[in-house]
Amino acid sequence: MTQKDVEIHLKGISISRGIGIGKAVFLSPEKEYIPNFKVNTKEVESEVLRYRRAITRGCDEINLLQNQLKKEKITEGVDILESYMQMMQDPLLTVGVENSIRQSCRNAEQVFYETINFYQTRFSKIIDPFFRERFKDIQDVSKRILSFLKESYRVSLADIPEESVVFAYDLTAIEVAEANITKISAFITTSGGISSHAAIVAKAKGIPYVTNIHLEGLEICSDAIAIVDGRTGEVFINPSEETILRYANIKKTLGIHFKLLSDCSSNRSETYDGYHVKLSANIEMSHEVNLLHEYGGHGVGLYRSEYEFLSLGKFPVEEEQFITYRRMVELMQGLPIVIRTFDIGGDKQMSCYPNKLETNPIMGCRAIRFLLQERDLFKSQLRAILRASIYGDVSILFPMISALSELHEAKQIFYEAQEELLHAGVPFSRNISIGCMIEVPSAAIISDLLAKECDFLSIGTNDLIQYSLAVDRSNQLISGLYTPTHPSVIRLIKLIVNEVNHQGIPVTVCGEVAADPRFTSLLLGLGVHELSVAPRHIPIIKNAIRSASIVDATALAEKVLTLASANEIQELLNEAYYQLVPDDCIYNC
Amino acid sequence: MLPNKKGKGSPQVKLVCKVKVKNIQGLHTRPATAIVKILQNSKSDVAFTHKRETVNAKSILSILLLAAKKNSLITITVDGEDADETMNRLVSAFDGCFGEMNK
Repeated sequence: MTQKDVEIHLKGISISRGIGIGKAVFLSPEKEYIPNFKVNTKEVESEVLRYRRAITRGCDEINLLQNQLKKEKITEGVDILESYMQMMQDPLLTVGVENSIRQSCRNAEQVFYETINFYQTRFSKIIDPFFRERFKDIQDVSKRILSFLKESYRVSLADIPEESVVFAYDLTAIEVAEANITKISAFITTSGGISSHAAIVAKAKGIPYVTNIHLEGLEICSDAIAIVDGRTGEVFINPSEETILRYANIKKTLGIHFKLLSDCSSNRSETYDGYHVKLSANIEMSHEVNLLHEYGGHGVGLYRSEYEFLSLGKFPVEEEQFITYRRMVELMQGLPIVIRTFDIGGDKQMSCYPNKLETNPIMGCRAIRFLLQERDLFKSQLRAILRASIYGDVSILFPMISALSELHEAKQIFYEAQEELLHAGVPFSRNISIGCMIEVPSAAIISDLLAKECDFLSIGTNDLIQYSLAVDRSNQLISGLYTPTHPSVIRLIKLIVNEVNHQGIPVTVCGEVAADPRFTSLLLGLGVHELSVAPRHIPIIKNAIRSASIVDATALAEKVLTLASANEIQELLNEAYYQLVPDDCIYNC
Repeated sequence: MLPNKKGKGSPQVKLVCKVKVKNIQGLHTRPATAIVKILQNSKSDVAFTHKRETVNAKSILSILLLAAKKNSLITITVDGEDADETMNRLVSAFDGCFGEMNK
């Protein structure tokens, strides 16, 4: 269908705003894509290890399924799974494949795939159809192993050519986090929700990202010029001269606008009638702190501590964590930092903790729930943070609290960690603030109770929206229902802010809403004193704050609270922002 | 894989025995699984020979590839310190049709 030199115009869903122009690069568009590459002799043992881990995960999964079937007394199923288990541990597939990886110095997927093909050929030569059919079981097992391998296989987006527009079926947060921003012009995927973690990372890095684009038939356009409009969700492949010119101009204007904004880093973040707002940064990796200093942020409002360790596939011991946190705290140069304890589970899986086959992981064992079950891990993190606290101004934030008892339990472990360090004579700061994330409706509704026992609260709007509206933020079928301007969400934020202001403790808004300048006036008007956004959004949000007045913002908030639909509220916010900052062509379009 | 001599201090015994496959469907997935499970903790090398093909009996894939039907003859070779016990367990499993009904 697609012709190589005709302009192709596609429309997807915008995830990260901005304009990207570059060469189309396709990452594994085929369904049965088997990566094939040479492995450095030095890295061959870690490749073997990666293979072994895939096998272990496969066995763990079968074990879980077996136990489930045992409970349900489906003995035949248990027997079949036992055969699968033995196949996964077959020496031809374990030691055999491992040795082939070492000898050929090729990646695990390729070697495994070749091995399976070899046995498929042998089975196909069996005359007896009954035995020939046995291969089907082996095929099933091999599919599982391959899928576990692929999970651990990460396309290194760092090795991609300059100015690439990356097309992929899906991207993980880790893949995006590793991406080299100077080389990647834009991301385009088939699946992936607006608020997936990959999207958050892309936004934080300022990489335009459009999703809901089907890749079938597009592969022949590899290397063609592609333009991505992350504001509207439009994608142009083989753009005409006219389109190229149009976007080159928009890009130039955007660049000038952004340069102007970032030049104002020394300006205070306050409204023109003097209402002061703390503007902090959400940070995943330590190197992002530079940008925070460059743009004049007040500190780190949210350090997502799990990201430094996600790509390792496991959590390091206390000592290694301590080194990481200490470096992080020192980089702050005295500015405050809020360290959120590990938010693992849901859509952020750790390969060392095999999927527990949760049917609904988003509502499952994640964040504080996971930490309260893995107490040793939790305590090791708290001890590491405590030890790092003497090097600066550190606060601790517990993720996904949904009941007061969870806060009590978490604090108990925190006190135990303090006791232990005290006994061991290890120094730590005595006045560490403790806060909890308000990202579950139940926590929002009891925010008065939580506020009494916390030093600060932090509103995570992404999850709060997802849980309030019962919309899975990674489900494409209902992505239209994920509306941050839903009146229920605004009312919840208002409720939390009122309670917290009543208790006299600070509250931060740290979700994606805080980084969208069209929401800034509304949030200030609702009584929010602190916003925390990805460092690169600081200039645009600071500009929105400085363009606003608290009097108008309060009036806007009151008006919003009278509106009944998400659309009306969104339109009002768009219009109000256009009035305040008419020359922002990223959001006014 | 043919049994090979190990130079360890423990007594090395090599046993050979011929058995008949009694299961109706031959050595299919279920019996093969049973065999591999029996051999899981065996310290001996175990090989099956069928129609001039010799394979490692600890590999389920290899057993299936023998495509041994009912009444096939399998030569079992066990070589190692626990050869006696291993052979006994294997032979009785073959005799008992690996717990399958056999009418």
